[in-house]
Amino acid sequence: MPKSMGAVKQAIPAEIGGGTDLAMAERVATAQAVAGRKILPIVEGVVLVAALVAPLLLQDYLTVFATRVIILALFALSFDLVWGYAGIMSFGQALFFGSAGYGVALLARDFDITNIFLVLPAGTLIGLTFALLLGGFLLLGRHPSSVIFVSLGTLTGSYAADRLARGWYYLGGQNGIPSIAPMTAGAYEFSEGPAFYYLVLGILVVVYLLCRFLVRSQFGLALAGLRENEQRIAFFGYKAQHLKAIIFAIGGAIAGLAGSLYAFHEGFVWPNMVGVVVSTQVVLYVLFGGSGTLIGAVIGTVIVEGVSFWLSDNYRDIWPIILGLLLLLVILFRPLGLISFVLGERERVGSFGAKEKRNAAP
Amino acid sequence: MANAFVAAFEILSFGAIIVLIVLGLGIIASMMGIFNFAQGEFVLLGAYITYLAYAKGLPIWVGMVAAPFLVGALGFVLEALIIRRFYAAPIVAMLGTYALGLIIREAVRGLIGGFYLTVPEPIGGSIDIGTMHISAWRFTIIVITILVMGGCYLLLSRTSFGLRMRATLENPSLARASGISTPLMYGATFAFGSALAGLAGALIVPVFSLYADLGIRFLIQGFVAVMVGGVGSFIGPVAGAGVIGTLSAALPWVMAPVVADVLVFVLAIAFIKFRPQGLIAGKGV
Repeated sequence: MPKSMGAVKQAIPAEIGGGTDLAMAERVATAQAVAGRKILPIVEGVVLVAALVAPLLLQDYLTVFATRVIILALFALSFDLVWGYAGIMSFGQALFFGSAGYGVALLARDFDITNIFLVLPAGTLIGLTFALLLGGFLLLGRHPSSVIFVSLGTLTGSYAADRLARGWYYLGGQNGIPSIAPMTAGAYEFSEGPAFYYLVLGILVVVYLLCRFLVRSQFGLALAGLRENEQRIAFFGYKAQHLKAIIFAIGGAIAGLAGSLYAFHEGFVWPNMVGVVVSTQVVLYVLFGGSGTLIGAVIGTVIVEGVSFWLSDNYRDIWPIILGLLLLLVILFRPLGLISFVLGERERVGSFGAKEKRNAAP
Repeated sequence: MANAFVAAFEILSFGAIIVLIVLGLGIIASMMGIFNFAQGEFVLLGAYITYLAYAKGLPIWVGMVAAPFLVGALGFVLEALIIRRFYAAPIVAMLGTYALGLIIREAVRGLIGGFYLTVPEPIGGSIDIGTMHISAWRFTIIVITILVMGGCYLLLSRTSFGLRMRATLENPSLARASGISTPLMYGATFAFGSALAGLAGALIVPVFSLYADLGIRFLIQGFVAVMVGGVGSFIGPVAGAGVIGTLSAALPWVMAPVVADVLVFVLAIAFIKFRPQGLIAGKGV
């Protein structure tokens, strides 16, 4: 992300240095004051309103599709936290998504547990556990791991899980686990439709707000520092590897939540769900929409899935080719994704921690 | 005894295939620092060109000879147009080459559909040693792999081209100052690596048949092999490929294939974790 470097490198010393670089801090503040209006909340608001009214306007089968997109957006959020904010390339995010899906599918199949208050925490926990194990192994240790090792390690993990799921009879082998019982809350059964849609949307909004709080906190500031210059953050005294492992685990937990919702919504799980295909798909969403902004991940998912759904009738064969071309163009010419057309650099980087203090300063 | 011999041959021939595929991947990763996600699709293209030659009624070996040249030329063009922009950022390079690979793979899928297309072996039949029969084509692949490996080694270690290539790898600015055109060397290296992938695809298509996901199957194994062997030298990835290929072919003989499959990856990642520099550390040939 060469374009982002300049701004963040300026912003970070201004923030962390506190008194050392007052002039720059002042410049950052003035630029924000001059900009006056904020675009990010507007974009977020528009997306939220659109999501709220969507089921009223869409036909039933489209609402089902929209539910799937919202779940995938939740999944994309988890990848965005890990890559867009902390700069950890997780090419195996589907491992957490899919293993949680398999986990809740097994709960439903073998133990008849479909209660929403049990399965969703269980799925989240599965994602968290796997992410802690894999992330702990890949990221922690005496020597910091190289980015290449982490990205290829996660990719390999996801691929190995795919092979395991395909070959393991207990998990249904190639066919996966079909016809999972619907999720329940007491006597109520969540079937595809508006109720499921609003449930998922509610979860997305809550998780989104939590993530928003997280990335705007001091913790988020340290993460952004990691992304831009890990060594500098380490020199400041942060335990860079621990921070990375923590955010990786949080990402895994969110992916697990999304995976368990997906399993119940689709009614089946299959080996692709843990594999490289889904892992790379989520990378596509986030790069497309704009990594490093939470709303970018959501928008990217909606656009990629929406256009793919729209084109799939007539242009099923060439759509993946178009997708590849568009992705290449985005990587080459818009490394910050589509969101960068409306969102300025300054606002994307954002402000951290105690905002009031800065506003109050003369 | 006969069984053990057949097993040894199977393991050797699969190891040879992995080495063949990793050669190109390893050269690009070692010499340019790019993990080329499109490498699997270059293998696929090599296989597709061979299939095309066969489908048009030409002798199969025509396709096999043409494949490395055509894929190499494509690699050269892609390097000049796209890959060149990624040198500074290894992760972006991964994503960019992934997008390239996606385009190539889906284009081929559009051309061949979801089918498994078979191409007959140019050298059919089997070689009989006493009561044992081994596939003549697989034997040929082993021989060709050894020849290509030797050829690459000599090219990198004994020719002025190889010297300039290694100079560009080790110290680009000094190489430029010495009058070596580094962009041209990068282009040539990438084309060379792609050509090797094309050759690998052409040679393995009779064994695995042609389908759109042919490349992906080997890509991750290839990456793991490169990491295990060690990035930076020519020998490293080849050694890694030997180890990974042998392990993935040998383990299924002693345990359930599913477990063996996963175990190879787990062992490999654990190995890299504790020895990040790989089997063979250091730069050079």
